[in-house]
Amino acid sequence: MTTLLQQLNAQMSNVIEQGWRSLVRVGNGEGAGAGTIWHPDGLIVTNAHVAAQRTRRGWRRPVASDELKVTLADGRDFMAQVIAFDEQNDLAALAIETRDLPTIALGNSWDVRTGQWVMALGHPWGVHGAATSGIVIGKGTNLPEMPAGRDWIALSLHLRPGHSGGPLLDTNGQLIGINTMITGPDVGFAIPVDTVKSFLRQALGTRGAI
Amino acid sequence: MSDMLKQVSDEMAQMVESAGQSVVRIEARRRLPASGVVWSADGLIVTSHHIVERDDNIQIGLANGQNVTATLVGRDPNTDIAVLRAKDAALTVPNWAGADDLRVGHLVLALGRPGQYIQATLGVVSALGSDITEESGIEDVLIMRNMPFDAPPMAPGGFPFPPMARRSLERAQERAKRATEQSRERAERRARRWAERSGSWGGRFEQFVQTDVAMYPGFSGGPLVDAGGQIRGINSSAIMRGVSLTVPTPVVRRVVEALLSHGRVRQGFLGIGAQPARLTSALAEQFKQETGLLLVSVEVGSPADKSGLMVGDVLLALDGVMVRTLDELLALLSGNRVGAEVPVLVLRGGQAQEVLVTVGERK
Repeated sequence: MTTLLQQLNAQMSNVIEQGWRSLVRVGNGEGAGAGTIWHPDGLIVTNAHVAAQRTRRGWRRPVASDELKVTLADGRDFMAQVIAFDEQNDLAALAIETRDLPTIALGNSWDVRTGQWVMALGHPWGVHGAATSGIVIGKGTNLPEMPAGRDWIALSLHLRPGHSGGPLLDTNGQLIGINTMITGPDVGFAIPVDTVKSFLRQALGTRGAI
Repeated sequence: MSDMLKQVSDEMAQMVESAGQSVVRIEARRRLPASGVVWSADGLIVTSHHIVERDDNIQIGLANGQNVTATLVGRDPNTDIAVLRAKDAALTVPNWAGADDLRVGHLVLALGRPGQYIQATLGVVSALGSDITEESGIEDVLIMRNMPFDAPPMAPGGFPFPPMARRSLERAQERAKRATEQSRERAERRARRWAERSGSWGGRFEQFVQTDVAMYPGFSGGPLVDAGGQIRGINSSAIMRGVSLTVPTPVVRRVVEALLSHGRVRQGFLGIGAQPARLTSALAEQFKQETGLLLVSVEVGSPADKSGLMVGDVLLALDGVMVRTLDELLALLSGNRVGAEVPVLVLRGGQAQEVLVTVGERK
């Protein structure tokens, strides 16, 4: 007899295997983070801090295309061009020259509820395609330890360096956020998917089309 | 709905209780005690190598509160496994299972018994693999394994591209395309340099299960338990700092067997540096394999050198088994081939020939 726990396990690993295909590695010449395929025609979303290098004065600038490398889940690599960069929101959009990439169905930030089960993918400490799971602590613009005025999803799971830019998935396998930062070993923060949508809408001029 | 949640919670508590019967406390270091798991009813207990700091006066605390003494059978720093033998103890042997049907995303529990009572943390399997090094340059040489990529791509996630965005994407793609071509050439050169530098590829850990379970103090040496209450391996937080790694049961079994028969774990050694190289289509057809291992270095005086293997040879098979990747070669260089004279099939100057090599032991 399969127990409920075993059924739960089968569902979770299905979600992760599906999400995996849209997880990429973004190498910026200094280190690496993760990225999420947003559109099949080579559009990838990641964090600005993943697609950036530090200049001598400590500011960040987008990495030039001869150093910015995107590795897909199937092992192919492509050099990428930054097409939009928003340091304030810590988001960047990258283009790679390919088509027919697998994407993740987009969710909505307003459906995210405190306590719901979520999964995050990335490359913690360089271990490729690793998953972590936990629950939503809360969401909003007014969370402890975070600058006010920006929307966040706070998470009780184990994000690590290398998870940045990777997808945050709900139990239906929908993209609900982009893993972005940690304030402790067990507390992580993701940028809600709606912030990503409005970033792309502004940067790429897709007026209200989403 | 709340019934389901209660049922899941009860199932987890039940798993902890039943698997916890086989988790013991191990006092073999000055600091906090750590954990171990019963291997067999005749007194064998497996734990982490790094928590066993002394060879004698090892105390074991059983689930029923009883304390017994144990002796060290052996240890393997490579896999971070130590085996102890407890005297006169009534032990409960758990259900040890391989990691074959474990999938990324499965819920797992880490158990520990640093004190009298069982403790548990919950997490998921983060990654499964067969390739990990402690080098920081790890990302450049690993490719994602077992990636299901055959399914058709999903429909675009409700994101229509207006013409303006399409043009800026295409312009960016054009620039990215040139950079990609240049980068692939550089990558080939880098792969070659890496293979040369890595020599005989030491410091590898052949199989692993990575989880996101929190390893509380004293959890080292404890079991990773799956949803069916089976033990999938021994948790060790020492192998790679910051991520929880589990040594899978098949590796534990091999280490226990080797320690019982030899007192140590032996591993074969050839003394070569190699990288996978694509065969021409004619050769691929002839040998039914697409890649071989190109030797990029041969250590002077090593078994490979003595047998006459040379830089530039392409290894196709060892002891009659096809060798396409470094992993496949490593798997063949197991302890039972140490000292054995095995035939190695190589391509030299486009001709296949067989060379006899006496496998050495990696020290």
